Amino acid sequence: MNKSQALTALTSAALLLPGLAAENSQVSLQYSRYQEGKRNLFDVKSQFDPLQVDTTRFSLDLGLYDRWRLGLTYTEDVWSGATPIATAPLAAQPNRPLDVTSGASPLLTGQVELDADLNPLRGGIKDSRLVHVLATASPEVRRAGDFRLGYEWNEAELSLLGGFSLENDYKSAYGGVSGRLDFNRKLTTLSYGFNYTHSDIQAILDHDSSPYIVKDSYRTGINLRQKGGLGLEQLVGKRQDFALNLGLSQILTRDDLLSLNLGYTRSAGFLENPYKAVTVLFIDPAQLGQLVLIGNRRALLEERPALRNQGVVGLKWVHYLASLDAALHLGYQFARDDWGIAAHTFEAQWIQPLGGGWTIAPRIRYYSQDQASFYQPYLLSLQPFEAIAKDSRGREIWVDGQGREYFVDSGDFFDASGNPVTPPDDVAPKRIRFNRQALPKHFSSDHRLSGFGALSGGITISKVFAKGVTLEAGFEYYAHAGSLKLSGGGEDAYSDFDFLVANAALKMDLEALQLSGLEHHAHHHHGTHGHHFLPAGLMYAHMMPAATPFMVGYRLMHQSQNGNLLHGSRRARDQLVVAKGCSPIACRYVPKKMEMAMHMLELMYAPSDWLNLMIMPQFMAMEMDIDELSGRPPRDPAVFEHGGKHTTGGVSDTLLATLIRLWHTPGHHLHLGLGLSAPTGDVHLKMRRMHQQEMGFHHFDMQLGSGSFDFIPSLTYTGEQGQWWWGGQLLGTVRLEENDAGWRRGHLAQASAWGGYSLTDWLGASVRGVYTFQGKMAGDVDGFSLRLGPMDFPQNAGGKFFDLGFGLSAIVPSGPFAGNTLRFEWLQPVMDDFYGYQLKREGALTFTWSYTF
Amino acid sequence: MQRFAVGITALLFLAGCVQVAPWERGRLAKPHMALDPNPNQSAIQEHVYSSREAGGGIKGAGGGCGCY
Repeated sequence: MNKSQALTALTSAALLLPGLAAENSQVSLQYSRYQEGKRNLFDVKSQFDPLQVDTTRFSLDLGLYDRWRLGLTYTEDVWSGATPIATAPLAAQPNRPLDVTSGASPLLTGQVELDADLNPLRGGIKDSRLVHVLATASPEVRRAGDFRLGYEWNEAELSLLGGFSLENDYKSAYGGVSGRLDFNRKLTTLSYGFNYTHSDIQAILDHDSSPYIVKDSYRTGINLRQKGGLGLEQLVGKRQDFALNLGLSQILTRDDLLSLNLGYTRSAGFLENPYKAVTVLFIDPAQLGQLVLIGNRRALLEERPALRNQGVVGLKWVHYLASLDAALHLGYQFARDDWGIAAHTFEAQWIQPLGGGWTIAPRIRYYSQDQASFYQPYLLSLQPFEAIAKDSRGREIWVDGQGREYFVDSGDFFDASGNPVTPPDDVAPKRIRFNRQALPKHFSSDHRLSGFGALSGGITISKVFAKGVTLEAGFEYYAHAGSLKLSGGGEDAYSDFDFLVANAALKMDLEALQLSGLEHHAHHHHGTHGHHFLPAGLMYAHMMPAATPFMVGYRLMHQSQNGNLLHGSRRARDQLVVAKGCSPIACRYVPKKMEMAMHMLELMYAPSDWLNLMIMPQFMAMEMDIDELSGRPPRDPAVFEHGGKHTTGGVSDTLLATLIRLWHTPGHHLHLGLGLSAPTGDVHLKMRRMHQQEMGFHHFDMQLGSGSFDFIPSLTYTGEQGQWWWGGQLLGTVRLEENDAGWRRGHLAQASAWGGYSLTDWLGASVRGVYTFQGKMAGDVDGFSLRLGPMDFPQNAGGKFFDLGFGLSAIVPSGPFAGNTLRFEWLQPVMDDFYGYQLKREGALTFTWSYTF
Repeated sequence: MQRFAVGITALLFLAGCVQVAPWERGRLAKPHMALDPNPNQSAIQEHVYSSREAGGGIKGAGGGCGCY
């Protein structure tokens, strides 16, 4: 594309409708952090960390041939922290701390004193205040992928879309169509969309609170099942969502655009939040008339209607202010459903370009909703929670160990035929639970369904660099409060909370990059294949010339360990692991499988040909399945232990590096790398509490980083001759300190040698041999750990390994994606020689994408 | 609903009166005049709001529990 073609493209884009204009192909990478403030628990200080969510999002939007367009998005959320499980009268002290070290424990059951008007009493004085009952969760991961494939006609567009969202307990898949029709000389556009989402819920009830939740009256249609003999209970349900939307946008003047949108969503099935319970105070009516009554406080799983119809109307006006070159976006949205919720949203955003590629966009939003008709902070029920069963004559029914019933009259026992009998010793009163029919059909105390208002404000700042690279940062502060509800009547202040969302994004416009990169690519890509054709698994191995000073890259490494536990290089049987794997105590559990995914953003800058600077933030997500060992010592009934799947994830360590060219002749190149790893990854992750017990620190390999500053020197040689290319690298990782969790990962030394062949001028294949030596771990966890198995002991880390890597590298030589490099490498373990007892390595796949400009 | 239908009809009728020639649409084509000027930001906002509010969005696609 030359300059006049570019001008034509821009002009034709300008003639299209705003918002629907054919955009250039874009790649973007975004990271965001949601951080909630601490909840107000009144007299108890919550010792749980507030909820936080880390999100990384990678999206690709490509104009394919002519009129096809493909969009792909991948999102990974990792969330952890405290969240309300129920609401209770403050007088019940539901967040009473157990002790200083274990934090507040959710106490879902107990007794509450009430006055004659059923107001809660605290120390004999009326106290109607409410409080959330907080529970906490260790990191949970959600992965979601979406695609959109569209085709554009002159005056219409049609897209197919679909995607999935995967969590351990909640799996969704959706598909649909969307599109638009332009008419009235493209002054008016009609947009439409339809989609269907199917979700499978298999929620393991919060381990800590589940034993205290009443489930025997839970509605039919939802299955509650035992999971794997671990004493865990699972809620199983399905949910379907149909959504339909229609939009109309209209150009009003050369400065004004108006759009009207209608949406309808029908949701059916399991619409509950499986982790929310409702407090019920059962009051035995026999107490009525007393000055002080005792309420029996219980928690029931929330029950919502199995159907919800929601309609939404939205209006948006976009106005251009020519004197300031600014845009004002004003929006209003009204939503109404058959659960009784009506919600209003008002939004305003001012987008102000400032020159030099800077844009600043402050934004304000106000939201208000009514409460759902079945929302109740807690329920009062005038019936005993449990009572002794009585027959029609008012006689108590007792039952023995065989299930035989006896009827008690004036202290004497009678059988069903009315004969006096002497019951066996194990006879006890037959207890019956409360009458579910006397409670409302549906109830929930999820604050999402309460009446409240929310005020939020934020700002987005972006800077476009001349070459089509945009850096963007956004902040938003959000305050949720019952008192902010439109026309009043919102939930009390106990439910108020706030949060902050901060995000940073890197966006690249591939066509703009290509325009700016045309000249240097013309001479850069010839004769320098060796620099691009490298095995993907190598790091610090590529240097850039100053002619193309910037590189942006993304690296994904997926590593698995699976199968047998090895001691050195040999399989260790369970008896051996029990006896020796956890010295000086006995092992009870063993890892069966471990998966680790690392996402890395690689940013590189070449101020000169001999010096390159790199910065690489990393994100991790990990999963470990652990299983009980056969022949383990018997369980201690006082200690709750369990196997199953553990997950963690989040921000990992950040790498900084300098590459220095030592020697460069045609066909040969040598450079030195000096790297530093900064301990931005958390090494204090703990497993979630279960059955009112602390579970302690997570396994070493499930922590997100090394916790220490590490020095990473490397020396890389690369060579090429004709179609052949080769190289070698020595790399070390020296831990500079013990981390503040009390331990230090082993030092590491690695040697790689590789050879490759260019199959075409854009595709190369390589074979690599890698020898790795990792020293022993030093120190140990400074704090409580359950020490279930070998993965919790520092002697079971490090070793000597040999791997073979098989790789492919592709450089897009021309077309709209010229300058992009894609690489894959599969690393196949050939030899394991572990220290201690460790899980067999299965291999690692590395994928990298990079763009130099 | 009746009022709504009247509104839509009126809007469509008025639309017919609007005259903005293609060469007068330069300002409307500016990136900050797009209906969704920043899809990256709005994706994050929608995700956050949908896990904290019951009001719902127009498009309704996606999935996930958001059960915080």
